[in-house]
Amino acid sequence: MKEKLSREEVLHVANLARIKLTEGEIEKYQVELKKLLTDVEKINEVEGYDEDILIACWDEFARLRKDEVGNMLDPKQVVENAPHHAGNYIEVPVVIGESEGA
Amino acid sequence: MSNYISTVGVEVHVELKTKTKIFSNSENGYGQMANSLTNVVDLAYPGTLPTLNEEVINLAIRAATILNCNIQRKMHFDRKNYFYPDISKNYQITQNDTPIGYDGYVEIETSSGEKEKIYIEEMHIEEDTCKSAHRGNRTLLDFNRAGVPLIEIVTKPCMKSGEEVKLYLEKLRELLSFGNISDCKIEEGSMRADVNVSLRKEESDPLGIKAEIKNIGSISNAKLGVEKEIERQTKLYDNGETFLPQTRRFDDKLGDTVLMRVKETGNDYRYFPEPDIPYVIITEEMIEKAKKEIPMLPDERREKYKELGVSDINTTKLVANRSLSDYFNTLLEEKTNFKTASNLLLGDIAAYLNKKEKEITETTLTKERFLELIKLMDNNTLTSKNLKDILNEVLESTEKIEEIMKEKGIENITNDDEIKSIIQKIIEENKESVNDYKNGHDRAIKYLMGQVMKETKGKANPKLAMDILTSCLQEL
Amino acid sequence: MKYLNKGIEEIHELLKSKIIKPIDLVEEAFENIEKNQELNAYITLNKEEALKTAKELEDKEVDNLLFGLPIALKDNIVTKDLKTTCASHILENFIPLYDATVVEKIKAKNMIIIGKTNMDEFAMGSSSRTSYFGAPKNPWDKNKICGGSSGGSAATIAARDVLFALGSDTGGSIRQPASYTGIVGMKPTYGRISRYGLVAFASSLDQMGPMTKNVYENAVLLNALVGKDEKDLTSANKEEEDFTRWIGQDIKGMKIAIPNFLMGDVVSSEVKGKIEEVISLLKEKGATVDYIDIKYLENAMTLYQIIAMGEASSNLARFDGIRYGFQAENVENIEDVYLETRGQGFGDEVKRRIMVGSYLLSGENAKVYYHKALSIRDDMKKEFQKAFQNYDLIIGPTSVTTAYDLSDPMDDPRKSFMDDVLVIPVNMAGLPGMNIPVGFDKNHMPIGMQIIGNYFEEAKMYQLGSFIEKELNLDLTPGGEK
Repeated sequence: MKEKLSREEVLHVANLARIKLTEGEIEKYQVELKKLLTDVEKINEVEGYDEDILIACWDEFARLRKDEVGNMLDPKQVVENAPHHAGNYIEVPVVIGESEGA
Repeated sequence: MSNYISTVGVEVHVELKTKTKIFSNSENGYGQMANSLTNVVDLAYPGTLPTLNEEVINLAIRAATILNCNIQRKMHFDRKNYFYPDISKNYQITQNDTPIGYDGYVEIETSSGEKEKIYIEEMHIEEDTCKSAHRGNRTLLDFNRAGVPLIEIVTKPCMKSGEEVKLYLEKLRELLSFGNISDCKIEEGSMRADVNVSLRKEESDPLGIKAEIKNIGSISNAKLGVEKEIERQTKLYDNGETFLPQTRRFDDKLGDTVLMRVKETGNDYRYFPEPDIPYVIITEEMIEKAKKEIPMLPDERREKYKELGVSDINTTKLVANRSLSDYFNTLLEEKTNFKTASNLLLGDIAAYLNKKEKEITETTLTKERFLELIKLMDNNTLTSKNLKDILNEVLESTEKIEEIMKEKGIENITNDDEIKSIIQKIIEENKESVNDYKNGHDRAIKYLMGQVMKETKGKANPKLAMDILTSCLQEL
Repeated sequence: MKYLNKGIEEIHELLKSKIIKPIDLVEEAFENIEKNQELNAYITLNKEEALKTAKELEDKEVDNLLFGLPIALKDNIVTKDLKTTCASHILENFIPLYDATVVEKIKAKNMIIIGKTNMDEFAMGSSSRTSYFGAPKNPWDKNKICGGSSGGSAATIAARDVLFALGSDTGGSIRQPASYTGIVGMKPTYGRISRYGLVAFASSLDQMGPMTKNVYENAVLLNALVGKDEKDLTSANKEEEDFTRWIGQDIKGMKIAIPNFLMGDVVSSEVKGKIEEVISLLKEKGATVDYIDIKYLENAMTLYQIIAMGEASSNLARFDGIRYGFQAENVENIEDVYLETRGQGFGDEVKRRIMVGSYLLSGENAKVYYHKALSIRDDMKKEFQKAFQNYDLIIGPTSVTTAYDLSDPMDDPRKSFMDDVLVIPVNMAGLPGMNIPVGFDKNHMPIGMQIIGNYFEEAKMYQLGSFIEKELNLDLTPGGEK
C-alpha cells in the first residue's frame, strides 16, 4: 500500500471541506490523512454485526413543538454580528452559480 | 424529423402554511423587513439545535393523503451537505432515506376528457433557504425565508408532453391550495417547479440524457419550456449531435430555455442521518386527525354542485373561486335554491367584491341573511333590478333585507289575485289593444303591460304580471 | 483566609450565616487564577461581571448549596455577551447572543461564572495543545499536559482555583483530563444534560458534565444541570433525582465487571497495578469483581474516528465567516470567503479531521464507512446492555498512561485517538462514565479509574466512586495542602 495520498486526493478533500491549504500543508496532509484513512479501513475487518443502525442514543422519539411564534432577533443584532452588512442585509462578495438546495 | 419518445418528470417545492418555521419558532412570513423574522437557530449560531414543528408534520401527512401516498410510520431526517450562502448551516435538513410519503398519484383529465394518473415517486419534508439579491459585485442575504417548511413532491418520469405537465401542475396547485397546505403562489415563490426532460427512440431503450429546467415562473411557461426542450433535443439528435446532462432555465423574455450549467459528475452532498432529531413516529391518530382536517377538495365540490342543480358554468366558476366556494359550502346542509344562490354569488355579489376588493367574509352577508335574500329573489318579492339598488346595503349593513327594501320603498305586488284584478281592469279599459292582440299584433301586449306597470307604479312583479296577462288574454 | 479549598457544605454555612459573602469567594478565585496564571487554564476571564453579580447576590437569600459559588466553563459552552472562542482563531472575537441551557440553569442557582477555560480547538484533541491560545499546563507538573480536550477546566479544578467547572466529553474529553490531573469528572448519560448552547463537535456523542475535586460536589453540581429541554430534542425526559442519595452507602454485594479490553497490553503496568489494587480493595469490602469480554470494544476507536470526524465535518461547516466570527480579508468571491476564512481560521487538527470527515461521507464512502460504523455501533450498544444484565457497574483505567510531556511530538495524527482508546466506547454507546483519582505513578502524577454505569444510573456510579474515594483518602492537592 502506498505511503501517502496524491496531491490531487488531498486537494479534493480540502475542497470538499472548503479549506485552502498552503503548499506545506498539502505535503504534510498527504502523509497524515493517509494514516487516518488507513486506520478507518479497519472497519472492513469487523464481522458478525446485524443491519440495524444506531444514529444516536436517543432516549425517546422526537417531541413535536407547538406552532407558536417565539422571540426573534432585532435585524440590527443580526447584521452587526456579521463581518459585512449593508442596511438590514448580511453582505457577501458576489455569488456565482445556483443554489443546490430547495 | 424523426420520432422520439419524450420522458418528463417534475419536482415541485411548496412552502407550507404554518405560523412558524420548521426547525425554529421564528415566524414564517412573507414580505417583511429583511432579517426581521429570524433567530439564532435560523442563522446557525454556534450551539443551536433544531426543534420540530408539529404543524409541519400534520400538513405533510395531509398532503401525502391527498396525493394518495403511502405514509412512512417511522422516519428520520438527513443532512444534505453543501456550501452555499443561502443555507446558514451549510447543510440542509431534509429527508433522503425515509420520505414521509411515497408511491402516490394524482389524477388529471386530458382535453379529450380521459382520466390519467400521474405517479408520485415520493414527497419529503425539508427547509427552505434564505433569499439572496445580487447588487453589482456584492450579494445581499435576507434570512427571513431560511427555515420555512417545504415539501418536495417528485413524480416518476411518467409524463410525455408539456400539456401533461401543465395539467399536473394545475391539479397539484388546486389540491394543495384547497387542502390548506400551501398558498401555492408561483409568483411569490411558495410553489416552485423544476422539470426533467429526456428523449429516447424506443420504450425499451434506457432513458436518454437529461436536461433539467429550473426557474419556471408560471405553469404556462412550464408547458412551453418542456415543448421547447423537446424541440431542441429532437433537432440535436436529428443532426446526429448529442449534449451533456445539464441545467437550463426558462427565460421569460426569450420564451425559451437557456443553458445555466453543465452538470458535474454527480453532486457530492455527503448525506447522513441527522443526529439532532430523533426518529419521528407517525401514529394512526395523527393520520386520522390529518384526514379529518382535509377540506372538501375540488372534484368533490364539482360533483356536489352538479347534484344540487348548479349549472356547469357556475360550477366551474365557483370551484375556481376558493372563498366563494367555501362560502357556498356553508349552505350545503340548508334547504334552499342552490341555483339562485350560485347565480347571486357569481353575479352581483362577485361584481361587488371585485370592485371593492373585498372577501365575501368581510361583508355583512351572514348565512342567515343570504338565505333570506335567496328566498326573496325566488318568490319574486325582490327583482334583479331592485337588488342592484340595494346591494350595497345588503352587503354592508346588518339590517334585515326586508327592512332595507321598505326603507328604499321597494314593495312588490306578488299577490296573484291583486295583480289579476288590476289586469282585468286594464283589459276592460283597453278593448282596442286587446282586439289588436287577438288579430295577431304582438306589440299590443307590450302596451298592455306598460299600462299594468303604470297602474301599479311599477310594483307589480313584471314576470308574474306578464304570465297573468298572457293567460287572461288567452282566456278571452 | 482561604475558603475555596473547603467543602461546599462548610462554605454554604459560612455564606448563610453571612460570615463570608459571595464577593469574598469571587475575589479569592481571581487571586488563585492570577497566582496560577502560568497554567494558562483560561481563555477569557469574566472578572468585572462576576464581581458585579457577587455584589448583587448580597441582597438575596442563600437558598441552595450552589448559591454564590464560582464556576468555570469550558469555552465551547455559549455565554451571552461573554466571548466564546472554542479555542479557535475563527471565533476569536465571537460574542454570543444567547446563553446555553446549562448556563441558564447555573445562573438560576445564582452561581457565578468566573471565566471560560482553555481547551483543544473545537474540543478536537487529547492534550489541549491544539488550542489557538496555547496549551494549559498540569498543576502537578507544569511540564506535563493536563489532557484534553477539557484541559483548562481540569487544570483550574486540580489547582483549586475554583470549586466547579464544566467540561464536554465527545470521546473522553472530561474523563481523560480528569485522570491526568487527579480530579473527578463525570460524563453523564447521553441526553441527561441539554446540549443547547454547547458548540457541536459530534452531535451524537457530545455531552457536557461536571468537573470537581471530589465525588460529592460533582453529584451536587449534576443535580443542577440535568433535565429535559424543549430546545434540544435529544435531551432525555427524566424525572428529577438527587444524585447524592446513595453516597456514603456500603457496596457489599455490588456486582462489578472489568472488560478485558480495558486491561489490555496498551495499558501501562503502573496504571494497571493501581487498578488491581482497587479491585482487591473492592473484593475485600464485599463486592464481586469479574473480568468479562465485551464484543466490539476493540473497534470503538475506529467507529469513533468515522462517526466523530464525519459529524464534525458537517457541524463545523457553519463557520464560514458570513454571519458571525472571523472572515478572511481581501476576498473577492464567495468561494474564497469559504476557502480563505476556513483555511486561515481553523488550526491543524481541526482541518485534518474535517477533511477526513468530508471524505468519509463523500459519494459511496457514506455506505462503506459511515453506515457500517452506525451498524457496528448498534451492536456494541447491545453488547454493553448484555453486560449490564449481570453487573451493576463496569470499571477500568481511564487512560493508558499518566500525563505525558507538553513537549512530546504532535506529528502522529493518530496519537490523540490512541490516548482515548479506553474512554471512547462509553460515548459510542451513550453510557455515563466517570473518572475518579485512585493514586499516583512513580513521578507522583495522578492515575485515574473509570466507572461506567448503565443508562441513567449516575447515582450508582457516585455511590461506588465516593466509597473508593473515602477508602483511599488520597491527598489530591498538587504540592500538598495549601
